[in-house]
Amino acid sequence: MHTNTASSELFDNLRLELRRGCLVVAVLAQLYTEHYGYALRKALGDQGLAIDENTLYPLLRRLESQGLLVSQWREEEKRNKRFYRLSPLGEEVLPDLLEEWRQMTAALERILGGRGIASAAECGGPRKEEK
Amino acid sequence: MPTTNTDLIDRYLHAVKFWLPKAQQADIVAEIGEDLQSLVEEREAALGHTLDEDDVAVILKKRGSPLKVASSYLPQQRLINPAMLPVYRLVLKIVLCWVFVPLFAFVFLGPVLAFAHPGEMLLRCLVEYWRAAFMTVGMVTTVFALLDRYQVKFKHADDWNPRKLPRVPGTQDTMTRWNHLAGFIFGFAAAAFWVSLMWQRSEFAFSGGTRLILGPVWKQIYWPVLGLTLTGAFFDLLSSLSPRWTRVRSRVRIGIDVCGLVIVAALLKAGNFVEISGGNFSAADLANKVAWINGMIDWTVIAAGVITIFDAAGATRFLLRGKRAKPAAIPSAM
Repeated sequence: MHTNTASSELFDNLRLELRRGCLVVAVLAQLYTEHYGYALRKALGDQGLAIDENTLYPLLRRLESQGLLVSQWREEEKRNKRFYRLSPLGEEVLPDLLEEWRQMTAALERILGGRGIASAAECGGPRKEEK
Repeated sequence: MPTTNTDLIDRYLHAVKFWLPKAQQADIVAEIGEDLQSLVEEREAALGHTLDEDDVAVILKKRGSPLKVASSYLPQQRLINPAMLPVYRLVLKIVLCWVFVPLFAFVFLGPVLAFAHPGEMLLRCLVEYWRAAFMTVGMVTTVFALLDRYQVKFKHADDWNPRKLPRVPGTQDTMTRWNHLAGFIFGFAAAAFWVSLMWQRSEFAFSGGTRLILGPVWKQIYWPVLGLTLTGAFFDLLSSLSPRWTRVRSRVRIGIDVCGLVIVAALLKAGNFVEISGGNFSAADLANKVAWINGMIDWTVIAAGVITIFDAAGATRFLLRGKRAKPAAIPSAM
């Protein structure tokens, strides 16, 4: 019981670390077109990347403070909404970031493929070395 | 939207606002409010009716406590830069273990041993000791926190030379280290013993009214002996931390030995170490006893002088030969 809880916590922490960088790439890529916070969260969720509000909004503010995003309060459907989009700096940085991402996923695919781990079900433990 | 729902959201936003920095309160709260409104509207559209208070409460509960929501907007603060943690721990260790503990043990233990009511004095000292310990830890932590706060970067952190890295300690180094550590402990114990035995002492009283009266030379050498013993002890402490510091160590050792020989010479020159008064002794018996005690002290002092000369000679020979221990073989990476 205790071990299960510990391993679950460990998995949660690892998952959080794994997602942290991915979310930045996803948010920047999604904001090639302008979105307000709720719509952005919906769009990411619809594409399979659910993101917690308490993660998304602080992340948006951080990316804006880093100069990668710009935002603007505007009225839409009789309500004030804050719209975000990539800044010129964000547009400059994102392609490099995506290239880095592609290289990393390609390398990871090679590593996983080389070890014969094609799916999560096969990740039960390290394979025995072939003689 | 029903009034109760708006009221619940308003109360929630107000509670979040409380924990936010003033400059960002309005902006952040407006955005969270807009997000919640969008969510409520979407749910209402999906269900085909307005949400009641319980539904909104579930949404807010899922969003998280006001403190949790507000904290996600605050910068992730830390007291000490993780990159500086090893240095912080090392400094704390040095301050607490190698400087603070011996220093305070000396400052406090001396008076404790000499005080008429050691228990009471010990209690007082312990209170002061812990107060000082907390202050020291606080000061070191504050310095490191300020370094992090003002983003002080260490210029030489990346400017390092692999050739100047310390050698892997061999067995001989480990032994030398322990020898010096033992030297420090014994030296410190000797200093404490000296303080407890001789602090403002002019005589020793024994049962039967016999009193051993100390000669004036003991008063003259009290502070030099204490200073020299502590210097030697702390030097051993430094040597145990850096056992390869051999040439400097030899020079300092010679200096300490020379000072020790000056004290030995002063004692031998004074000659009359103790007198005896009181007790039922005949004049001849008394003279014999005084002569015997003075003789024993004389020989002890001479022996100490000879040992000191040998020690100084060893250090001088080492210095003249420029002897250095051979570096330990570095295992090849196989």
